[in-house]
Amino acid sequence: MNKKITLVSILVLSILPLIFHNNSYIMHTLILCFIWGGVASAWNLIVGYANVFSFGQIAIFAIACYTSAMITLNLGVSPWLGILAGAGAAGLVGILIGLPCLRLKGIYVALATLALHLAFPTLLSQGRAYGTGGTRGLAGIPPLQIGAYTFGLFSNYYFGLGLFLLSLFAIYKIINSPWGLAFISLRDSEHFAKSLGVNEYRYKLIVFAISAVITGVMGGFYVHFIRAVSPAILHTDLFLMVIAMMLFGGLGRFPGAAIGAFAIIFLNEALRPVGTFRLLVLGIIIVVSMLYMSQGLIGILESIGRSIRRISKGRLTLSR
Amino acid sequence: MNPEQFGGVLICGLRISAIYALMAVGFTLVYGVGKIFNYAHGGFYTWGAYIAWFLSAGFCHLSYPIAFATTIPILFGLGILFERFFIRPVRWGGAGMMNIFIVTLGAALFLDALALVIFGPIYKRLPPLLGGNLSLAGFVISRHDLTLVAIVIAITIGLILFLGKTREGTAMRAVSQDMIGAQIVGMPIDRVFALTFGISTVLAGVSGMLLAPRTLIFPGVGWPIFMKAFVIVVLGGMGSIKGSLIAAFILGMLEAFIAYFIGGVWGLPIFCLVLLILLVVRPQGLFGTAG
Repeated sequence: MNKKITLVSILVLSILPLIFHNNSYIMHTLILCFIWGGVASAWNLIVGYANVFSFGQIAIFAIACYTSAMITLNLGVSPWLGILAGAGAAGLVGILIGLPCLRLKGIYVALATLALHLAFPTLLSQGRAYGTGGTRGLAGIPPLQIGAYTFGLFSNYYFGLGLFLLSLFAIYKIINSPWGLAFISLRDSEHFAKSLGVNEYRYKLIVFAISAVITGVMGGFYVHFIRAVSPAILHTDLFLMVIAMMLFGGLGRFPGAAIGAFAIIFLNEALRPVGTFRLLVLGIIIVVSMLYMSQGLIGILESIGRSIRRISKGRLTLSR
Repeated sequence: MNPEQFGGVLICGLRISAIYALMAVGFTLVYGVGKIFNYAHGGFYTWGAYIAWFLSAGFCHLSYPIAFATTIPILFGLGILFERFFIRPVRWGGAGMMNIFIVTLGAALFLDALALVIFGPIYKRLPPLLGGNLSLAGFVISRHDLTLVAIVIAITIGLILFLGKTREGTAMRAVSQDMIGAQIVGMPIDRVFALTFGISTVLAGVSGMLLAPRTLIFPGVGWPIFMKAFVIVVLGGMGSIKGSLIAAFILGMLEAFIAYFIGGVWGLPIFCLVLLILLVVRPQGLFGTAG
């Protein structure tokens, strides 16, 4: 990723609230973009780089949400500790899921994790006795606070942006570390990489945990920002939206999932007036982006960038 | 639990076993022939029920047996179209299995959303195939359940004969054993795939039509059934029809007893638990080959 583009986009994202500070709708949507951008990027790390088709990410997200919500509501601890506990729980569950899953082959991982995802709403709605709030979920979750200052939309925006950039940075570092190289070699030529002594199991387990922790932090932030959570976050539409973000943005292309998150969330908001057609369009996007643009949005942007560069170079030679 | 209740639970178990068997066989057929994990299988369950509803109670007011018979060719056509426009492009595109997996996932969402757009969120009710009950040795069986089980048995026998005796069935088995080999000796792979998807879709849709009078029809009704069918396929061994039939019977009965003793909502979580244990202990299932 180009340094200039990165800096400009960070700058634009940090200036945006100054323009839209009166428009709570746009601010809210942008914060959701940060959260899901982080979740989708962490997921992309597992699916696109580690090549483990785990479908349990939203369940991990929900575990972090519920952990943080339940301990802040019942034990009265600070939401900051709640987010940490949520991230810890998410990381732990990530490892617990990872242990059996990484021994399995491709399709079976997808199924085992999907089974977890599908069983989870029932556990949440039946677990009223344990404080999950049943089908209606939990509400009135305390917002983030520093001293006497309660986080509003503005401070949540910058906190969300900070988390988003931090997780992208962490993911970027992993992708460009020897681990990332190990993954890419495993993904592109499994037997060859293994024969060179790449230890698949250990690397994948650590990345499973890191991805789960990032997802968990985002979940903790989400629950203290929205201030309510119910088993509905495990519904198919959200699940598929995050998958659409990954695919539409570009599977296994670095900032792809984050760009996809912005694109899909704004598209989703733009489709609100057409009501039920929204899901239809999302389904078509998943299929079409898999069939006709397997490089995703990021691939298209890159090729546009390349042709612009070629054109500008061409002009330079002409003027000379 | 008195004998009457026990009989009731058994009949209930038999009914869902039969439906799961049909779903699982359709799913395992596609997996066996093409190594394709078809997420849209549940969507076709939903659509089978909707089409039957549209033809009978909804709009066309055909009598139910006629509507039933008309739905089957429609479903077959749907399956062929699905293979042509969703599966074939990725299959020949040199893409991995996971791409096909995600395309079918998107297609599943598409099918559900389309049902939501066309038929709306209001639950639809399908009349039973045959009304009334039969009293058999003290147990009461509804005629619908009896017909359901009979139809499932007939379809299963028909399918096994089709796969074993006919030219097309042999071609399907050949492709499932060795796709490249089948291609080398000049088998029309595309046609075999189209046929497989057609049959699989019919099986899913017929399950939907048969169970819909017992449950209700709404967009996404096929998901839990599909997930359970999937657990059955894993238990039986991916691609094994015999395994699927036996596993459907085991898990269908298990679910009926779970529903009686603990409550219906626990069916899916317990199935998922079975799946998780199975994947760790014996991923190849009861009758699958290791690998």
